[in-house]
Amino acid sequence: MRARAVYRLAAVLTKSQLRGNQRGRIFTRWLSKTYTILLVDVTLISLLGGLGYAAFSTYLPTGSTMALQGTELQGLTAIPAATSFAVILLGILGELSQSLQSSSTDLVNWLPISPSEYVAGSTLSLAYTYSFLPSLLLGASLGPALFFGQSNVWLASVAMSTVSLLIGASIVEMLRSITNRISSSFYKRSGRSGIILRLGLTILVLVFFQLLFSGQIIVYVLRAIVQTVEAVWFIPVIWPSIAVQAVAEGLSVPLLFGLLSLSFSFALFVVAVILRTRYWIPVPVSIKINSKPYSPSVAKVRIPGITSAESAIFRKDLRSLIRRREMARFLAIPFVLAASMAISLSQIGTASGSSLNLAATIPLFLIPIAVFCEVLSMTSIGQEGYAVWNIYVAPLETNQFLKAKMLLTTILGVVFTFAMLIAITFFVNPAGSDILLLFGLGIVVVLEESAFGLYIAAKFPDFREMVRSRYVTIWGSLLGMFLGIAIALLTATPLLLQPLFADLTAELVTATFAIGLLVCLICWKVTVRQTKLLFENILI
Amino acid sequence: MVLLQVNAISKGFGELKAVRDVSFSIGSSEVVGLLGPNGSGKSTLMKIMVGILKPDLGTIQMLDSNVAAKPTKAKMMVGFVPESPRLYEFLTGIEYLDFVSDLYGLDRSAKSDRISEFLKALDLEGRENELIHGYSQGMKQKLAIIAAMLHRPKILILDEPLNALDPRSARIVKELIHKFRDEGVPTIFSTHVLEIAEAICDRLIIMYQGKIIAEGTAEQLKTKAGSAGSTLEEVFLKLTGTSDTREIVEALWR
Repeated sequence: MRARAVYRLAAVLTKSQLRGNQRGRIFTRWLSKTYTILLVDVTLISLLGGLGYAAFSTYLPTGSTMALQGTELQGLTAIPAATSFAVILLGILGELSQSLQSSSTDLVNWLPISPSEYVAGSTLSLAYTYSFLPSLLLGASLGPALFFGQSNVWLASVAMSTVSLLIGASIVEMLRSITNRISSSFYKRSGRSGIILRLGLTILVLVFFQLLFSGQIIVYVLRAIVQTVEAVWFIPVIWPSIAVQAVAEGLSVPLLFGLLSLSFSFALFVVAVILRTRYWIPVPVSIKINSKPYSPSVAKVRIPGITSAESAIFRKDLRSLIRRREMARFLAIPFVLAASMAISLSQIGTASGSSLNLAATIPLFLIPIAVFCEVLSMTSIGQEGYAVWNIYVAPLETNQFLKAKMLLTTILGVVFTFAMLIAITFFVNPAGSDILLLFGLGIVVVLEESAFGLYIAAKFPDFREMVRSRYVTIWGSLLGMFLGIAIALLTATPLLLQPLFADLTAELVTATFAIGLLVCLICWKVTVRQTKLLFENILI
Repeated sequence: MVLLQVNAISKGFGELKAVRDVSFSIGSSEVVGLLGPNGSGKSTLMKIMVGILKPDLGTIQMLDSNVAAKPTKAKMMVGFVPESPRLYEFLTGIEYLDFVSDLYGLDRSAKSDRISEFLKALDLEGRENELIHGYSQGMKQKLAIIAAMLHRPKILILDEPLNALDPRSARIVKELIHKFRDEGVPTIFSTHVLEIAEAICDRLIIMYQGKIIAEGTAEQLKTKAGSAGSTLEEVFLKLTGTSDTREIVEALWR
């Protein structure tokens, strides 16, 4: 294995990873040197460590030292295990959005690089890319460790977190080879049902991990790891944490578990190399959707005012949403948002008994709808990708194109609004008139966000096709999210003021819907103008 | 009858002047070859003709329509294949063609008949229900060519249409171009394969650095270049000032 080739490959893959994520030119230029990543990590640790130490020295209340010392030790023990877990998670999410086609045509497949050099380079690149995670945790724990005189445990945690980083990265390398292989064999046999199954599984994985990363659950997991470390000593991923715990407790086994962790890391590397050698180039497969002879499409349900061209774009977009691996993350959004809302609503419901607290419920109800519709809408033009020339050359009027795009977001938004209403009814048992009011408000917000999202989509499109494509520029997405939520809350403002003007309820409801209508019209006008500008010059 | 009139078109991208004051016209029943080295402005000019790029100066007249003023009407008349066409990879071949037919408003029976005929002619029958994702480059090219011809356009604008096609399919496409010409539908297409251009084009336009440097039949161009007995390749290299190939190879070999 040539060390220089490994280092150069790691640097190139890191650059590719950062540029693929489009984090801005200055950012990627600066971070494209691997040593600057290490510098960032060291700075992060020093800065957080200094701040933590200063805060503990200045503000620590007397009497709380013992409890905090225990928590600090728990944290230091959990960092290595959390590191490998987080790297595996982020790696899985990255892999989910990479197509087989791009893996098979990867330039690296044709370069004179051996499988072991590739795996070493790729593992190092993953370790560089995700090193900010343990750096954050280690930085946050440095201050208290110094303050409580636990610097030896902290150093052990640094060493073992580095090993864990490599363990996590090697596991991701293994997953890469395995998932490509499984995908090839799976789709070859299953066709359309395979696509549906993949969509379901992808959404499930995304929702599971999103919920797992909510604050309360992380605390629960960390606590569980620390409490069960001794009981699960036979699980190799936990060995680095056991080594740290042994240092903390002054036991004589840290070296043993340290060596075991290193050996485990090396064993994983060897397995990853074997898998990579075996499945070096994944075979792109042909997926047969249908075996029936061709019969021209006819819309099953004719929507008045929708032409055949609009209906064709709608059907295409629906297929894109269901069939593209990278689109599953958008379909996972409503599930994650609905779950968060359900948790919050259960608390409101408990606090206010059986009656609905409208002012508290409206933001919880509207923001998820706004976010879902805004995300779908503002990515709807960029997701055409390089195939957008098909739209440019088609004899389509701007209004036709926008109507078709808006139709899909609106339909999915209305379905989501229904689902949210059912959840609300389940948790807080509102009156019939409140349900009607919320439903009307939901529909208005769906229309507003669908129209405004298209403005953002036309103003800031990103047609580039790469790993984790965004379909809208980073500034566009930030602006879209911020203004999208602001628009929803602005529309609901009269109703949010209802507790102050209880005798003016009818007027407030009228004002809410009048604002909604006005915002819809304005959004539509600016969107049409912006889309006309977009279609003047093809951007690819 | 003039079907396409290109009037003094210029287009720049910042400092780069991609097309400079280009004018020509195409009549019905004509196959025109657009030749030029890489970066000479052929693809940019074709995109302007289709109406997907706005020229800085000049106008394109397609039949009685100004392309910039009535782009939708103009697009209805054109069949366009871009260089390396990218298709919707999550659709099957048949779904893609069905989608394009609907964009052009073809009725049910017309699209059914035409799609089936084209699929058979270009050897895609039996593969039409597979996702485009799994198609070879040549199959994707065939699909793009079918999509450009499905709605029976009044003019064909094809940017290197024979790229990646197998000999049989390339032959069929060439014959289709002639068939369209016989029906009064002109074609303008770009290619780097000069033998093809010479064999199937009635007229050739050579572009270099954004300008038209020569125009006429293959024989007229040879005469113009002062090398009547030579090949079109020699004429092309002489006209575009790129005939120093031997020196380049010698330098590379050193």
